[in-house]
Amino acid sequence: MIQREYDAIVIGGGIQGLCLGAYLQRAGMQVAILERRHEEGGCVCTRETTAPGFMHNHAVCMEFLDWMPFYHDFGLAKLGARTLYPDAQFGIPFSDGSPPIILYSIASAENYERSHRSISTYSKKDADTWVGLRRKAQDLEPLFCQFFYNPPAMPTPDDPDPFQTLNRTLLGLMGLPEHLAQGSGKDLIDFLFETPGLRTLLYKGLEDWGTPLETKGLGAFALISLFFVETNSRIMIGGTHTLAHAMVMACVREGVEFHERAEVNKILVRNGRAEGVVLADGTEVRARKLVASNADLKQTLLRMVGEEHLSRRWVESTRAFRYGRSCVLGSVHMALREAPDYKSARHDRDINRTFITVVGVDTPEEMTEHCREVEAGKIPTIPALFTSCLSVFDPTYAPAGRHALSAWIFFPKASALGRAEWARVKATYNRRVLERFESWAPNMTRTNVIADFFETPLDLQDDKRIPEGDFCYGAICPEQLVHKRPFLEAAQYRAEIPNLYLASSGQHPMGGVSAGVGYNAYKVIAQDFDLPYRPWETTGRGF
Amino acid sequence: MERETYDAIVIGAGHNGMALSAYLGRSGWKVLVLERRLEEGGGLSTELYTEPGFLHNLHSNYHTFVGLCPVYDDLHLVGGPDGVAYGHPPVQMGSIFADGTALTIHTDMAKTHASMSRFSPKDADTFLRLYREVKGFQDLMIRTLMYAPPIDVNDITRALSTWKVEEKTEFFRARLRSMCINDFLNKHFEHDRVKAMLAFHAAVCGYYTDVVGLAVSFPFMLGKIDNWRIAIGGSHRLAHALWRQMRRAGVTLLPAAPVAEILLEGGRAAGVRLEDGTEFLAEKVVASSVDVGQTFQKMLPPGSVPLPVLDQVEQYEYQDGSLFTVHLALHKLPKYKAAAFDPDIDRAWVLNAGYECLEDFNEDWAAIRKGEAPAEPKLNVAVNSLFDPTDAPEGKATGLIRVFAPHSLRGEGPEAWRTPFREAYARKCVDKFLGYCDGFTAEDIWVARPYTPLDISEKLVNMVRGDWMVGRIADSNLLANRPSPALSQYRTPIRGLYLCGSTTHPHGFITFGPAYNALQVIADDFGMDKWWAEI
Repeated sequence: MIQREYDAIVIGGGIQGLCLGAYLQRAGMQVAILERRHEEGGCVCTRETTAPGFMHNHAVCMEFLDWMPFYHDFGLAKLGARTLYPDAQFGIPFSDGSPPIILYSIASAENYERSHRSISTYSKKDADTWVGLRRKAQDLEPLFCQFFYNPPAMPTPDDPDPFQTLNRTLLGLMGLPEHLAQGSGKDLIDFLFETPGLRTLLYKGLEDWGTPLETKGLGAFALISLFFVETNSRIMIGGTHTLAHAMVMACVREGVEFHERAEVNKILVRNGRAEGVVLADGTEVRARKLVASNADLKQTLLRMVGEEHLSRRWVESTRAFRYGRSCVLGSVHMALREAPDYKSARHDRDINRTFITVVGVDTPEEMTEHCREVEAGKIPTIPALFTSCLSVFDPTYAPAGRHALSAWIFFPKASALGRAEWARVKATYNRRVLERFESWAPNMTRTNVIADFFETPLDLQDDKRIPEGDFCYGAICPEQLVHKRPFLEAAQYRAEIPNLYLASSGQHPMGGVSAGVGYNAYKVIAQDFDLPYRPWETTGRGF
Repeated sequence: MERETYDAIVIGAGHNGMALSAYLGRSGWKVLVLERRLEEGGGLSTELYTEPGFLHNLHSNYHTFVGLCPVYDDLHLVGGPDGVAYGHPPVQMGSIFADGTALTIHTDMAKTHASMSRFSPKDADTFLRLYREVKGFQDLMIRTLMYAPPIDVNDITRALSTWKVEEKTEFFRARLRSMCINDFLNKHFEHDRVKAMLAFHAAVCGYYTDVVGLAVSFPFMLGKIDNWRIAIGGSHRLAHALWRQMRRAGVTLLPAAPVAEILLEGGRAAGVRLEDGTEFLAEKVVASSVDVGQTFQKMLPPGSVPLPVLDQVEQYEYQDGSLFTVHLALHKLPKYKAAAFDPDIDRAWVLNAGYECLEDFNEDWAAIRKGEAPAEPKLNVAVNSLFDPTDAPEGKATGLIRVFAPHSLRGEGPEAWRTPFREAYARKCVDKFLGYCDGFTAEDIWVARPYTPLDISEKLVNMVRGDWMVGRIADSNLLANRPSPALSQYRTPIRGLYLCGSTTHPHGFITFGPAYNALQVIADDFGMDKWWAEI
């Protein structure tokens, strides 16, 4: 049974909530994490969706683990969250069997050379450009972390637009012209690279690492997706579920109390502050000090708090906050007899051992067309897949000799289609995927597939309350970033109601398995409550 | 390379491995548990197998030792913020018969008697006498048989003889050793339907009714016919509770860490090596909760295990059959035509829909032994949402239909479970189920997703051939014979290596017996203070 009173209540046991909960508990508060579902972790989960024994991750690329304070401050590796760091990170094979383009990890100088060699098959100039920028970004990692793992800079008379300052700074540090800031990520890629195949690969990477392709004003922000987080990805051994488990265990070890199947209906606003919550079953749970919500902005403020407690400015800004269509994914899961064997492997076998491969699009035009269809709210005709077959790297992902494949594809928002339409897509889309896939890897026939499953943005919304299926809990666009994420007054994690904090991925920095929001929200709370635990001051890392 | 050292390493984080590790951890030992899968739990697995919001118990569904097993109390597994909340359905089980009649078993035995009397007042009386008699012996049974290292069945017989059991009880006889459950039922009961109900109870517990010798266990089982509990939120809640207790006891659990080899040093089990090459050292104990095949044939180097023991391992037998399940996401709770005869049937948990007499069971066992799925599936059905308000979205329900089925289908092997036969058989089961329903049709079923014997063995490697009891249930493979005479006391010929899983006494199912008993032996061997409940 739920004890009735805690110092801090965290609504939602997704990674932001788990992170925040662990830090608050270590700082001396008695924390309860209230999770609506039967288990914590949210998007950080692994399920045997196709057939038992075959592991499919929801989120797959753990590119923030090197930097994630939560991972290091709480020793998650020792709690069972172990990783692999594949050398061949991100690549594109082609349906005509042309040499693939593979980008390698930044773990060694040798890997940089391998990336260079691979791109040089098409263009030495592009190879030089890519390696040069990637190296610069690697050197700039400490600064990147400063940006990511801190509350956003707010406007001041000297710096009235921190987002533009960020853009200028990024471009300046990377040695690129300022005008790129006004363009889109696509403009940036086209400016930098000439090889069509490389452009195709990077268009897809841009989208999957959080930046929509053709949105203007993100030309500098796109550098983050392309050069900071790309090619820095780890695989969780066993499945990303182990990371969620380690996070939960870290919380348990600190003394956090968990309650599953505890859906919050209302945040109690009394005496001018957030005093606790009311669950769906009517139980009232009090918070002596604060309530923090991991749930999305609209759910938190409009449903749980209620408009009557908010100013018009806050209500309007919350309503105006957009979800999607960036970061809205459908996912393909397949249990296979054999891993894909790409035609392009005859030129370079590494493509069969590349962490993520882009399959289904050969040209920038195809990729652009795909994104435009999705932008227009349509189910894409061409499946452009962000594919991983992790059993190739970690045999525990599938029974002996078999393989588990997952692929992500950009899809319209959950509300773009009706339930019946989504059900039809769910039942049929994989057929289209497989037909396409076979042109890239001839062994991807019907008989190679033991079982398959398709998850739609609507499923994500139904299951995990991911709004519209948008894993960043808020569109990535100039109007909703940095000091405007989710909007100016709410950007420092404090809600309008005293003692209520906003900690969903719709805050700065954004989604992705980074636990950045949880950490940053903790910083603000630590300041507000004068908490003694401040690892950004005591560890050497500087953030 | 530096290798981390522990007092004990436990292989496998099923409920037995976890329980043992928690006891050892609380005794002050530094313990490491290595689990092949990405998460702990083994058979304690609950997943969203159909649609968002529908929680399905993919393996263990029934917990029948709550309140009887000391481990629940010792490890604080029930209640509290970290423990499991158990429901205890008042209508424990029932049978629906083709002629529209039904029999129901209640926690209130007067009601059970009343229901049985409608078929045979004589049988109802007999049953009540049997139940009461067993209840009188239940503590003794548990103490001497279940939660203690096994004694030889000859010793049991001698002890019962000395005690003059045949003069003191109506139902316990030395003769039971040569009887199968069918024999026992035929001897004491007259009505086919009553016998079918009681046989069903045994079958769901993993006891085939035509296997000679199992009549010995049957009375004891009947004493628990009123103890079927449901873990609110799914069986995995018990795994979570164990995991949290392990954490509190300072136990380290590593997921995705399949063990390749048990390391030996000077004839002693000194540690393990994972498939990825990582090694860990154990100063006192390596305890394997996985099957004997993996333990002795895969993890130990040739020559390290005496040949007679290896022979016994090689000859280790598994159950003839496994389970085929159809997991259901329902738009509403089903109701049955038989409710006109007995309204309580609509609120019964474990439902027999298909077995009408003992011969029906015999037919199924015969089919399974021939490698065939029973042509006419006879179902055991459970709609957990009747008792668990959290396992389905508002207004919906989660359920399952189970059938005893072979792992290997004659002619095609286990891969046959991946052919269209899988869906066809599921449809057959669902159609059969619908035939018993009233006002509940195919439209009320949102998703019916099969889970086959092959799925069981692919997911839980330890459940060889999908055998969730992890070893044949028969005289030759129970008590001091399980897994073999040389290995039945949880020790192995290798110093420091212990067995603590379902291949040891008592057997599979959520009993915690193997772990608790292995713990006694380890405690004796290491002079540990037994702080836990004296059973």
